[in-house]
Amino acid sequence: MRAIKGVLLTCDSAVKQILLTMNEKDPFVIEDLDDYHLVIKADEEYRVRRELEAELEKNTYSLETN
Amino acid sequence: MASKRALEAPGEAGPSKRRRAEDGNDYVDEEYHSDQEDNASFVPRGATINFSALTRKLAEARRAKPVDGDETSLDAHRRQQDALVSHIFMDQDFSFLHLKPDHASRPLWISPDDGHIILEAFSPIAEQAQDFLVAISEPVSRPAFIHEYKLTSYSLYAAVSVGLQTEDIIEVLNRLSKVPVPETITNFIRERTLSYGKVKLVLKHNKYFVESSHPETLQLLLKDKVIREARVVSQQTDNSIKAATFTTTKAPVKGNLVIPGTKEAEKKKDETAGTRAGASISGGAADADLFTSIVGVDNDEIDEDDDNVHAFEIDDAKIDDVKKRCNELEYPMLEEYDFRNDTVNANLDIDLKPATVIRPYQETSLSKMFGNGRARSGIIVLPCGAGKTLVGITAACTIKKSCLVLCTSSVSVMQWKQQFMQWSNVTDRQIAVFTADQKERFAGESGIVVSTYSMVANTHNRSHESKKMMEFLTSREWGFILLDEVHVVPAAMFRRVVTTIKAHSKLGLTATLVREDDKIADLNYMIGPKLYEANWMDLAAKGHIANVQCAEVWCPMTPEFYKEYLREQSRKRMLLYCMNPKKFQACQFLIKFHEARGDKVIVFSDNVFALEAYAKKLGKPYIHGGTGQVERMRVLQWFQHDSNVNTIFLSKVGDTSIDLPEATCLIQISSHFGSRRQEAQRLGRILRAKRRNDEGFNAFFYSLVSKDTQEMFYSTKRQQFLIDQGYAFKVITHLDGLEDLEDLVYKTKDEQIELISSVLLANESEADLGTDIRGNEGDLAGTVTSKDFGPTRFPTAQRTTGTLTALSGAQHMSYVEQNKSVNKKLARDAAPRHKLFSRRDKDKATARKEQRAMGRT
Repeated sequence: MRAIKGVLLTCDSAVKQILLTMNEKDPFVIEDLDDYHLVIKADEEYRVRRELEAELEKNTYSLETN
Repeated sequence: MASKRALEAPGEAGPSKRRRAEDGNDYVDEEYHSDQEDNASFVPRGATINFSALTRKLAEARRAKPVDGDETSLDAHRRQQDALVSHIFMDQDFSFLHLKPDHASRPLWISPDDGHIILEAFSPIAEQAQDFLVAISEPVSRPAFIHEYKLTSYSLYAAVSVGLQTEDIIEVLNRLSKVPVPETITNFIRERTLSYGKVKLVLKHNKYFVESSHPETLQLLLKDKVIREARVVSQQTDNSIKAATFTTTKAPVKGNLVIPGTKEAEKKKDETAGTRAGASISGGAADADLFTSIVGVDNDEIDEDDDNVHAFEIDDAKIDDVKKRCNELEYPMLEEYDFRNDTVNANLDIDLKPATVIRPYQETSLSKMFGNGRARSGIIVLPCGAGKTLVGITAACTIKKSCLVLCTSSVSVMQWKQQFMQWSNVTDRQIAVFTADQKERFAGESGIVVSTYSMVANTHNRSHESKKMMEFLTSREWGFILLDEVHVVPAAMFRRVVTTIKAHSKLGLTATLVREDDKIADLNYMIGPKLYEANWMDLAAKGHIANVQCAEVWCPMTPEFYKEYLREQSRKRMLLYCMNPKKFQACQFLIKFHEARGDKVIVFSDNVFALEAYAKKLGKPYIHGGTGQVERMRVLQWFQHDSNVNTIFLSKVGDTSIDLPEATCLIQISSHFGSRRQEAQRLGRILRAKRRNDEGFNAFFYSLVSKDTQEMFYSTKRQQFLIDQGYAFKVITHLDGLEDLEDLVYKTKDEQIELISSVLLANESEADLGTDIRGNEGDLAGTVTSKDFGPTRFPTAQRTTGTLTALSGAQHMSYVEQNKSVNKKLARDAAPRHKLFSRRDKDKATARKEQRAMGRT
């Protein structure tokens, strides 16, 4: 068995749900621990963070985009 | 200095350089010139200046003897400072505008680029500065400490039309500004104000004329293609060019006018204004004089140097294009109505009832309209619940001519009529209603007609009766046309109204001069400039509207709901974030908290599905479009009078029109996307709270928002208008004590999952907003928020299969109504009086009868 390097993510329950939907498209989750914790592949971490950022930004209103 | 000049925008560099060379100084402001030398020796200056000394200096500036000082150290100091920061700001580097040495005491700063004015609202002279700024510019945003205004062509036209002089505007700006008024701004002001008022649009004998006392101006306008084409050429036999082109008449003479209901108030106001000005600027008598003379309303006249007026006629249908074109040519047309000298149209004998007293700000707004004894066309902006109707009625009573009132729905038509009857002595015969159901005409020569926009603007499918009514409306000249809720009317419809109805003056009324489609600018030439915009915070501070605490409550989505939310792409998403169990809990908690405080709570939901679910779950009565008339009246009655019914749920029907002065707390759980107007209207529901004058009273406005959803986006957008009015939204991320609530709904995961399955089962159409409202014929689309919800919708039949024996109850089946609406539990009628009291009443009555009989014999 090969070992995979993982990273433990701590997040709130909503963000976890976003991550799980992202996971369906392009799997990166190694283990779903509980409501607040996930272990994900270490080399995917950067991409996941970036996509998550973009996702969360969608719900933010700013005067510039107006 | 040379290097700094280079930093200016290239277009402005030319004139400013020349000007500076002439002055031999960096500043345009003469008054400042002396100040600067006065203080040149004190470096650092900021520390040495105290305010009281400076206000005095403001007034004495001219008299003060310049003291020779050493300028080089100052210059060097400045250059050094500029070098440190200027590169950060790139094109927005305005460091060439040096702060005046006494800048700390001057409250405003003007951006040379776009004419934005930033005001320090905490400055001791901010109040006067505000009066002045409201007169010359448009408020953009007015939070607690820093206000933003914008100079626009329209606002400057409005300023000139109330009698401000160009040089006075610049002078006062210069006094208040921290930096010398930039050359670009002074040029802008001069350009815009000098051309104003030269051209007038008048209505004579049912024909429109463009009038001017300067024939050259008219010649110039006629050179324009649009205007030339709109002109109606009348036969003239005279040979001279001037006479052939224009008809010439005597200019009207002005007189004195008093707006009814304001005589005493006027005097009082002037006194207080005088003392205030005197008190705040001690020793600055000259200053106070300048302020009052400029800000005051007594001193507005428009120069009429020429007795002869020249005019040409234009086509009714093209009136709008001409107006727009004239604005573009920077010869905006002044629309004024000299109603007292109008002998052609019959007078309408109406007046305010003696008991009617109008509030100071209503008076101010009207004085802007009737500033020079004539009626000016324009828009007045007052918050919801601040008495817009009364302003309109007072204006009508001042003009005393035939008047046409247009509003958005047939229900507001009836309200306007009722308000007219309430506040003025108009008789039933003088006021007529024109809606889909009622087509009346007033008796006599003049009167008031109340109608809706769509009734008047409709061009097709008219019944014979409405056609005749329209002919009646278009055939006559109206002295005054009152346009309610101007911000909602589509531009095309408006144009039709304005071109078909001939009115001498127009007044638009609104609470929220915002549109999501930014068509506000159109109103400027269709009606006129904004005459007055009230400051919400000011009115709240003076107790005319309630003080409101606004809060946005963030409710986290439960993982199950959020999972579904992410999966769902359709409109059902909305249903999911409305029905979030945490939102339920927050709503329950807030209702409980405020009921315990003795507040009357209204809960708003645009979504009917959510409304019913919430109301039933929390056991509160509700009203939506499907609620019958009788049931609705009963629920409202109970809410108003019974201390046990402290909360009601309302759908969109409650946005306007339902008057509930008892309500002191408002919670919204679902709303119409990012509509700033709806937010303001809803806030308006609690602004007229009865208890607003109680010491320390606050009304509460909560917006429940599901975290991490689109609702967050919409919610922030919706708040923008209120934020600009100076309201601050507090964000509540956690309601303290929520978990400890005894009968908290949806506490367990099982219940939450049950809820989610019911939401997922719901039809997609349930997610639609405001499905319960339908308009009557003649209502403006999207504005129906009335008491009368139109034809009631019957629930569709449900089909199930089963044997007849089972359904009729043979197989141990019984029917129980689950989740019953509280509406039904409210007693149908008031309880009959107790026997004891009714017997006492009877005894009293017989005693009285006996007494009377005794007296007679």
